[in-house]
Amino acid sequence: MNIHKVSRREFLKATGMTAGGMIMGVTLPVSLSAEDSESAFHPDVFIHIGENGDTTLYCGRAEMGQGISTALPAAVADELEADWSRVSVLQGDGDKKYGSQATGGSRSINEFFFPMRTAGAAMREMLVKAAAKSWGVSESDCYAELHYVHNKKNKKKIGYGELADEAGKLPLPKNPVLKTREQFRYIRKPLARHDQGEVVVGKRTYGIDTKIPGLKYAAIAHVPVFGGTLKSVDKTEAMKMKGVIDVVEVKPIKNPFSSVGGVAVVADNTWVAQQALKKLKIEWDPGANKIHNSKEYLEQLVKNVESPAEEIFKRGDVDKALKAAETTHSASYTGGYLSHSPMEPNASLAWVQDGSCEIWAATQNPQEIQKVVAQFLGRKEEDIVVHSTAAGGAFGRKSKCDYVHEAAAISKAAGVPVQLSWSREEDTRTGFYHSINAQHLEAGLDKDGNINAWLQRVAFPSIGSTFNPSQDRPNARDFRGPIAHPYGIANLKLESGHAPAHTRIGWYRAVYDIFYGFAVNVFTDELAQKSGMDTVKFLNNIYDNNKDSEMSSVVNRCRGVLNLAAEKGGWGRTMQENHGLGIAVHHSYRSFLAMLVHVETNGDDVKVHRVDCAVDCGLVLNPDIATAQMEGAVVMGLSLSLREDITFKDGAVVNSNYHDYPVLRHNEMPEVHVHFVDSPESPTGLGEPGVPTFAPALINAIYAASGKRHRSIPIKPMSV
Amino acid sequence: MSKTTNINGKEISIDVDESMPLLWFLRDELELTGTKYGCGIGSCAACTVHMNGQAIRSCLTPVSSVIGKKITTIEGLSEDGSHPLQKAWLANNVPQCGYCQAGQIMGAADFLSKNPSPKEQDVEAAMSAHICRCGTYQRIKKAVLDAAAEMQEA
Ligand code: FES
Ligand code: FES
Repeated sequence: MNIHKVSRREFLKATGMTAGGMIMGVTLPVSLSAEDSESAFHPDVFIHIGENGDTTLYCGRAEMGQGISTALPAAVADELEADWSRVSVLQGDGDKKYGSQATGGSRSINEFFFPMRTAGAAMREMLVKAAAKSWGVSESDCYAELHYVHNKKNKKKIGYGELADEAGKLPLPKNPVLKTREQFRYIRKPLARHDQGEVVVGKRTYGIDTKIPGLKYAAIAHVPVFGGTLKSVDKTEAMKMKGVIDVVEVKPIKNPFSSVGGVAVVADNTWVAQQALKKLKIEWDPGANKIHNSKEYLEQLVKNVESPAEEIFKRGDVDKALKAAETTHSASYTGGYLSHSPMEPNASLAWVQDGSCEIWAATQNPQEIQKVVAQFLGRKEEDIVVHSTAAGGAFGRKSKCDYVHEAAAISKAAGVPVQLSWSREEDTRTGFYHSINAQHLEAGLDKDGNINAWLQRVAFPSIGSTFNPSQDRPNARDFRGPIAHPYGIANLKLESGHAPAHTRIGWYRAVYDIFYGFAVNVFTDELAQKSGMDTVKFLNNIYDNNKDSEMSSVVNRCRGVLNLAAEKGGWGRTMQENHGLGIAVHHSYRSFLAMLVHVETNGDDVKVHRVDCAVDCGLVLNPDIATAQMEGAVVMGLSLSLREDITFKDGAVVNSNYHDYPVLRHNEMPEVHVHFVDSPESPTGLGEPGVPTFAPALINAIYAASGKRHRSIPIKPMSV
Repeated sequence: MSKTTNINGKEISIDVDESMPLLWFLRDELELTGTKYGCGIGSCAACTVHMNGQAIRSCLTPVSSVIGKKITTIEGLSEDGSHPLQKAWLANNVPQCGYCQAGQIMGAADFLSKNPSPKEQDVEAAMSAHICRCGTYQRIKKAVLDAAAEMQEA
């Protein structure tokens, strides 16, 4: 059972809050398997109904704009028959008592959905029972509706607030009855988000906005080359500036999420700190990675995938099948480094004192902060108090807490509470980047256009290298996508090319699926052309020919979104000159996506007119939030297809700010239409899966419009 | 006499280095954090506020140039969040992370005061000064057009 009654004492201990009424705790399935005992019960979420009826969810999971703080409360509220206007959400502080708090991989919604519903249903049944008892009638004469329990017999009603205390004393129902889909009141409905009101009046507090008494401000300059060190710093001029308090060297610790090292200025305000930083005379020793130049490096990766590499997976005999094929085709694809560049740069407030350490930060993983800061200070994790704030975007970057380590180091050295805000330049140049990558694909087709052989060689610096610097090529784990690919080709070979890392690599919204989705879909489009078939028909053929029964659900869902996107976007219609349609299908994070892109080209200029996204994410909890996620994915996809390109020269990132790392703006926004498959499956994530399909659909559309086949993204890199 | 500027209707005396950008004066000295830092070089418009009714980038505007002027930030755009743009933003569920939205709304308010009945393309062009990394552009456009329509009716 992953729901649990919580006593007031336990609640106080866990949240520091006193409460009357009724309290329930909900635990993640994963937390349960880790420590499966009553005493180790650490709820991920508390649900509290107060004596005035106010219903509050205390949520540990970080909120990053995916609307989880609306979708999951809606699941509880629906089963509870709560009045949505009486339900609110409070973000919890970083602590083990909230179960795992890492956000990412679109997991939050998947893991919470049923437990949350079950908890809501259990509470509803307890409230009904309490009401029935007070009236002395049977439960079947009562029903719950919108924060009241009604008595069918005498038409009386009692509010949840009034019932909460008594209901809380009743035993937890063994098998609370969940609603059917038709009975849903909030799930699948476009509910207003809880947290929007404060945004439009400027009252939402992000990591960079936290204030506490006595606060000082810091700016930092990082070692430009990863692995480099500080040789010397002359702080004389900086210290002369009015308002400057201290100059602090931050040294890396042995932890993948540590600061890379840098020098910080502490001052009365951020502006003075930034100005003083410019007055420091800093000499760096760049270290071994100064040899890294991303342009040459990418050329090397291409070479590494265009010759035999390390075999990772094999099925059948690819070489033989290629020889026997009617037609063969091969092509290589590349993509550059990407920076997350959320609008809120890395920022954290830390106040380290002898007996305490308190942290405020926008974070995707508050517990990692506890670990890293505890390691740095030589203290216990539970002594590090982490308040997680709203995040001004994250996209994976804020799952790493180097900036928090720095804030703690600066506060400790300066002896004052410090708000550290990275400049945009430092944020751009000190990333955990999405991997630069090269892939080479070869396939053999028979005379009916079936793919009989598929060779895929891949080279990119792996995220694993951030944790284990000796990893110098993608390993089997990094190939999970291609191994499970729904084409189910009989003769398949996957190889890993040499790609040592020269910078920190991290999770970036949709991670490797971005380049896997890209290469596979563009290559598929090319194969369709080779075989003289329309791409949608070609794909349907492949799906039809995949007889692997274990893959049938995946294949069916891919086919479902493919045909939905094709239909909605008008696939197959005659296009004006210089206009074209392109399509791509990809599944990741257990969700299935197809995008159809309508593009117009004019020389090298590309104008995307319209995007039709077909989505199968199981049950759609909140169509409006799901749609917003797809709109965001299109923007990110278009942005990385066109221009985003982090460039390294002599080991250091050359880009600095939005002028030379240009992200998509309003004038290039296409019209986005999102279509959901009415799916009986349980809900799956939406934060990430939308990204991978956009770039290949665009590239295929450009080909259809102009006959020009791009195989590298971005297609218009900014030269810096 | 100390130098002052009027921020959201309050006279504020300026006792900082006057070369400090208004952005940091607002955020760090006055603790009005609704105005956001995004780039510091005038390239993202997250820091947009109004000076005498005109949108400016507060990251590029030294405090010296706002002396004696009227500054409005997102906190002062309306008394209670009832500006037609704020309402349209909620009705269209515009924000994702929300970080860029104060700047977007302040930019849109300035734009509508100059162009009360804009076409779609006008909105696109005007709002292209603003970056939203979460990609809420489609909704921003709709919300600006909705607000324009409401302001026309009123
Ligand atoms: S912070 Fe002023 S324009 Fe970006
Ligand atoms: S809503 Fe996140 S940057 Fe605009």
